[in-house]
Amino acid sequence: MISLSDISPRSGAWITPQIVVFTVMLLTAPFWLSAVGLYQYLGIEVAIWMIYALGFNLLFGYAGLHSFGHGAYIGVGAYAFGLFQHHVAVSLWGGLLAAIVAAGIAGLLVGALVSHRRGVYFALLTIAWGQVFWFSAIKLHGITGGEDGLLNIPRPPLDLGFARIDLNDNEALYYFAAGALLLTVILLWRIAHAPFGRILQAVRQSETRAAFVGYEVWHFKWAAFVASALLAGLAGGLFAMAQQSAYPDIMSLHQSGLIVMMVLIGGGLVSFWGPVLGVILYFVARDVLGIMTETWLLWYGLMFVVMVMFRPEGIAGALHLVRKRFSSRDGAASSARVEPI
Amino acid sequence: MALFEVRHIHKRFGAQVVLEDISLDFEDGQVSGIMGPNGAGKTTCFHVLTGFYKPDRGTIRFDGTDITGQSPQSLARKGISRSFQMMTLFDQSAVIENVMVALPEFRARQKHLVSAVFSDRTLVDAAREILDQVGLLGREWEPSASLPYGDRRALEIGVALAARPRILFLDEPTSGLGSEATRNLAALIAGLRERYTIVMIEHDMQFLFDLADEISVVHWGQVIARGAPAALRQNKWVERSALGELA
Amino acid sequence: MSTLVPHLFNGLILGLLFALIALGFTLIVGVMEVINLAHGSLFALGAYFALTIIGVGWFDDTAFGQWWLSLPVTPRYTLGLVFGSLLAGLIGMLLELCLRPTHGKAPLYGLLLTFGAALVIEETIRVVWGTGEQSLPLPDAINGAVLLGGMIFAKYKLFAAAFAVVAIGAVWLFLERTPYGAIIKAGAHDSEMVRALGYDLSKLRMLVFGFGSALAGLAGIVMVPIWGMRPHLGVDVVIPAFLIIVLGGVGSFWGAVIAAILVGLAVGLTGAYAPAWAMMSMYILLIAVVTFRARGLFGRKSVLEQ
Repeated sequence: MISLSDISPRSGAWITPQIVVFTVMLLTAPFWLSAVGLYQYLGIEVAIWMIYALGFNLLFGYAGLHSFGHGAYIGVGAYAFGLFQHHVAVSLWGGLLAAIVAAGIAGLLVGALVSHRRGVYFALLTIAWGQVFWFSAIKLHGITGGEDGLLNIPRPPLDLGFARIDLNDNEALYYFAAGALLLTVILLWRIAHAPFGRILQAVRQSETRAAFVGYEVWHFKWAAFVASALLAGLAGGLFAMAQQSAYPDIMSLHQSGLIVMMVLIGGGLVSFWGPVLGVILYFVARDVLGIMTETWLLWYGLMFVVMVMFRPEGIAGALHLVRKRFSSRDGAASSARVEPI
Repeated sequence: MALFEVRHIHKRFGAQVVLEDISLDFEDGQVSGIMGPNGAGKTTCFHVLTGFYKPDRGTIRFDGTDITGQSPQSLARKGISRSFQMMTLFDQSAVIENVMVALPEFRARQKHLVSAVFSDRTLVDAAREILDQVGLLGREWEPSASLPYGDRRALEIGVALAARPRILFLDEPTSGLGSEATRNLAALIAGLRERYTIVMIEHDMQFLFDLADEISVVHWGQVIARGAPAALRQNKWVERSALGELA
Repeated sequence: MSTLVPHLFNGLILGLLFALIALGFTLIVGVMEVINLAHGSLFALGAYFALTIIGVGWFDDTAFGQWWLSLPVTPRYTLGLVFGSLLAGLIGMLLELCLRPTHGKAPLYGLLLTFGAALVIEETIRVVWGTGEQSLPLPDAINGAVLLGGMIFAKYKLFAAAFAVVAIGAVWLFLERTPYGAIIKAGAHDSEMVRALGYDLSKLRMLVFGFGSALAGLAGIVMVPIWGMRPHLGVDVVIPAFLIIVLGGVGSFWGAVIAAILVGLAVGLTGAYAPAWAMMSMYILLIAVVTFRARGLFGRKSVLEQ
């Protein structure tokens, strides 16, 4: 089966056609969302989870480290944002910075302890750490508000100097989140294809060989862990702002499992855009399928299991194969060449 | 002083002593061979020399510096490179990507988060030059997993070469190759000897005897004989360990 | 010191039941080289199947149902115990079938699949049996309290401990004294060898998965009166199982039993000093053990190390 390294571009462009299309879709979302009968807040949720998922895939797909406890970092980000608003200052940039830094520190500490491992041990350790964070969020109710979580988190206004934008309006917050998402996409696209990203992929394919050609492998695993935690922190901060609350459930194993499923189903193992597709599919399942049946999550889980069995390349992988079949049908020689996506 | 000096290496696993008082010298510019029957300890010896295992006792010196017990990545950065018998390629990547990631120029940029790689001509040219040395030029973008076995062996060596070593350790490079591929490989290594000091473990006695300037025989965890191929043919220890029959 | 006794006793019972879970888990890891993250869900499923067999919530409106519920609890409970675990075993075999497409591939896929299966099973439990706390009806003989040596013990806990000991003994007998058991043991040590000897590896895998899952289900049925019964009950089971096989070594019978008792006692002791942290102690123990030392006390280098 194909992998991320099969679909790697050779150009050095900052902006690719896919990024342009994506930008257009994001910028016009408020219009077509209501046109298809969906609501504005959904756009915010989708943007936030895309940031989370893309950052997560740097670890999951690119570095090949399967973290089943990543909810801890989006949770830390959310709580940090809320606590900053409540105890330090009502500030957008302060809150987001606090979210990113707090999640980054959590990732730094946990990462230092897990990055010497891989495979099953790594996965189980991340589950255990996720549970530790989740449990702490419930028990430390003096700080975190316990099972109820932090409530009444304000949405600080966006102060641009020449204008002050109230983010209590969902459309305004959506554009802010979409902006953060675009920056994330552009940054991650470059990282994945820069030397750092390539070395991550080498580490995924063979830690032994990567070491024998001179790389301090666990540094790279650690760095990928921290990077994905930082982005999860950003997502968490936005999440706390959007919901105006932060609660332990986001750190539960259940939620951590959801991000794994989203990313795999979308095709994160083989494509940069896999996580984006995966998030879209999840929310379609939740909000479209969910209207028809209460058991939508069960079907989603079954779909995941079937995909792991037969199509672990996910949707992006399936699309890639379909495209290859069409292009070879056009008469082009189907040579075994690695083509850029 | 030899380029690579091994002195009194001792290695055990649990109660079993695998290497006992191994001392070797690899001279700069030579092709050195290590041979011996299976289970004799030559692979363990290789692993110790290339940093995969730490010796329990003994020292290893490279170009005068003590490198005993250093990690493989540290050794690679100093110019010690190896290929593997069980092929250890980046199997989801293309041929050129396998080689490129091993280049020291690439490694120097490991912290770069945003620079593009394949639009950098110097890196691409350096990678292609390595591929040329191992006969894979023109196949840069083929997926490494789909190469025929002999070409994968060449790529396996290519990745080791890309690290620009001063000394190259090859672990049973002819493993699994048919006679024609073996001849090609012999030509490849003969071509490399100008530029690299090479140390090879081999089972294929003829291959080793044709290429090596000096061969060490490892048996029962010790070096039981050492010398030029011609001299070894007469060595009584070599005969005793039944290797002589095959030489 | 005497205040510690109930906690140590609780810990011992927990350890014995953990041993049942871990035995199933380690056999599966040994033969299949798969870490079954759904093991905990099968544990929960066993309990829920037993719940239904005993008759809670289903049969009220049919004639059969009325008759069934009129029977004393003891036969219904016994049948629940037996068939609940067998049904869990069956689901385990189904899971093994689902794992087949992932066989040649990297271990990641098996792990992801069992992870997904765990969530699917949990969700199914939620849908079928509801999200609330349930409780398993128990025969009077094992309900209530008894006075022993000046201390009050819950009869059920004594029953659970005795049952676990008997079950562990039965598993040992099965593995050591029956031909099936011998094959499973051999498979757990070297599955390639077993195939070379002519045994059908896929049948063996299915048997082991079924057996291991049935053990998990059995442990679940016995454990829920102590631990409570909620859909996400399974989550807290895989971690101790994994911890136990890391400590005791993959495929080692006594390693699993002894390590399980140690882990149980550790949890019990934590319960004495910091009750809220009792479950968390397992996670912290796992982190400590796996971060700093990963080879077991009894086992050899295993499939877990890649």
